[in-house]
Amino acid sequence: MSDVIIFVEQRGGHTRKVTFELATEARKVADMLGGKAHAVVLGGGAPALAEQLKGYPLDVVHVNDDADVDTYLAEPEVDYVEALARELGSSIVLVPNTMHGRDIGSRVAARLKTGIVADVTDLKLEDGKLVCVAPKLGGAFITSSAFKNTEYGVVTVRPNAFAAEAGGAGATVQPIAKPAGKTYVVKIESHVEEAAAEIGLEEAAVIISGGRGLGSAEPFDSVLKPLAKAFGGAVGATRAVADAGWVPYSMQIGQTGKTVSPRLYIAFGISGAIQHKVGMSTSGTIVAVNTDAGAPIGEFADMLVVANALEVATELTRLVEANRSA
Amino acid sequence: MKIAVTVKIVPDTTAEKKIDAATKRLVRTGMNLVMNPYDEYALEAALRLKEQLGADTTVTVVSMYPENGKETIRRALAMGADDAYLISDAALEGTDAWGTGVVLGAALRKIGFDLIICGGLSDDGTTGAVPGALAEDLGVPGIANVRHIESAQGSLKVQCETDNGYQVVNGPLPALISVTMAVGEPRYPSLKGIMGAKKKPITTFTVAELDVAGAAGAANAKTELLSFAPPAGRGKGQVVKPDDSAQGARVIFDYLKERKLV
Ligand SMILES: Cc1cc2nc3c(=O)[nH]c(=O)nc-3n(C[C@H](O)[C@H](O)[C@H](O)COP(=O)(O)OP(=O)(O)OC[C@H]3O[C@@H](n4cnc5c(N)ncnc54)[C@H](O)[C@@H]3O)c2cc1C
Ligand SMILES: Nc1ncnc2c1ncn2[C@@H]1O[C@H](COP(=O)(O)O)[C@@H](O)[C@H]1O
Repeated sequence: MSDVIIFVEQRGGHTRKVTFELATEARKVADMLGGKAHAVVLGGGAPALAEQLKGYPLDVVHVNDDADVDTYLAEPEVDYVEALARELGSSIVLVPNTMHGRDIGSRVAARLKTGIVADVTDLKLEDGKLVCVAPKLGGAFITSSAFKNTEYGVVTVRPNAFAAEAGGAGATVQPIAKPAGKTYVVKIESHVEEAAAEIGLEEAAVIISGGRGLGSAEPFDSVLKPLAKAFGGAVGATRAVADAGWVPYSMQIGQTGKTVSPRLYIAFGISGAIQHKVGMSTSGTIVAVNTDAGAPIGEFADMLVVANALEVATELTRLVEANRSA
Repeated sequence: MKIAVTVKIVPDTTAEKKIDAATKRLVRTGMNLVMNPYDEYALEAALRLKEQLGADTTVTVVSMYPENGKETIRRALAMGADDAYLISDAALEGTDAWGTGVVLGAALRKIGFDLIICGGLSDDGTTGAVPGALAEDLGVPGIANVRHIESAQGSLKVQCETDNGYQVVNGPLPALISVTMAVGEPRYPSLKGIMGAKKKPITTFTVAELDVAGAAGAANAKTELLSFAPPAGRGKGQVVKPDDSAQGARVIFDYLKERKLV
């Protein structure tokens, strides 16, 4: 028997879709393990978000709007999650596989002296063991792993891998005590929003991605962004264009960038190098537009359209927008 | 200032990866070994700091890998690191992310450091869990996803990447940071660097020399690989050669409509 705890990544009461995916999956895992599903929501805006989480099938939402969480990096959040795990005993901690989620997850695992399975896309029960399914080695293998020698486990969950479904009897929202006797030294001075992405790349259901074939920085803003907007998605890029300074590195997808698996990935002017492929090959549907019929991306795209990327993107935006307002 | 960089040695990133069916571990023989790409960026960040801070700053590379990793470690020395430590021991086979943090921590306690720089993610492990585990083991502040070091004299001031921008973060030293690729393109070793690297020391540690009881090796790992299989194949799809771009867009639109994606 194990409880399940989800770490809710949030700022000012705003969170990402992956939180609700975790909340939905936590219920299933808790039922498999015969335990309860908990969420921890911390920092400014936490109480409002906790109310929102009541609509998901959790048992308890632990909340504290502790200002230290907004002022100091990571450590306060790790303290809260560790404290709850120790209080509950045997438990599985689910964090989103995002930059911040991985940081929190790896430290919670270290505090609990336990293992971490990263980038998990499925969770199931086999022979009484929780089995974590994750694509590894750039998607070359689908692995199944389990925890051993431990009563705890930390799982980082890939955004978009699980559905978010509201429901349940309504969780109890209760305050969680601030861990005592801690002092914090790593201070967040300021936040700067750059990409101003309304949706994070890792959780976007649709990604419109561009490569060197777009020719310059300008179309990323003037062509890809409107198309992404029409889909309600986000814009990604290859390393070649990040290196060229056309887009920030935060938009890079691939081996040394982000790993994504949206329902739809459209690649404009991207050759499909292995280092790019490993970051996106688990996407639901992959469409590529490339002037070269022999581009490597044709080997794994569901559809390769041999045409000029800019022109197709512009026209496709028109079609998608027209379809929306129809 | 004493900077330590953790470097993982991984199979050539373009090599076809295989898992040994019996040991369930990545096959690491019969292919070129390279520095984990992210760790080249970590080393680059360290070397730039050294250039900025002057001669009494040193850069030490620390890696956990079998003895045959030495040649790869030489590349780090050729790039400009001053010395290296290789933790090699058969007892380390199968150590997991948490255990790796403990082993690297034990070595770093002996070696000494003011700042540890890690890569963000390993090419073969891709858990991104070792830097956090290492910071916790050493009990020093850990700052993840650093894209720019603003200053590192007396204390640290860095920019950390977030999902939609960055945060400016400050903290005391000693500390650990893990970097993203935005810290700057790694340099190539110069000929002089390559010659000089041959004379730089690589010290090896065995498990017996480190206090890592209960963390090293497969027997102590907290996770186990049960099975693995190639994914259901994603074969070559259709190739469409439209008459013009407008038709190309229409073909995509219809295809997405059919799949209920618009
Ligand atoms: C260690 C390492 C790590 C790396 N990590 C990453 C990573 O994380 N992510 C990543 O993306 N890359 C990574 N790379 C780089 C990778 O190898 C490729 O160089 C890169 O992905 C290529 O980007 P691209 O497709 O934009 O450019 P190119 O390979 O130059 O491809 C451009 C494509 O555009 C097409 N094209 C040209 N004009 C047009 C047009 N008008 N309309 C339509 N198509 C057009 C061309 O036919 C071509 O196929 C890494 C490399 C190394 C060595
Ligand atoms: N065996 C190792 N030796 C040295 N450094 C390592 C080792 N494993 C992981 N690291 C460091 O931890 C980072 C993240 O690795 P991982 O957690 O395996 O994804 C790497 O980029 C390295 O800096």
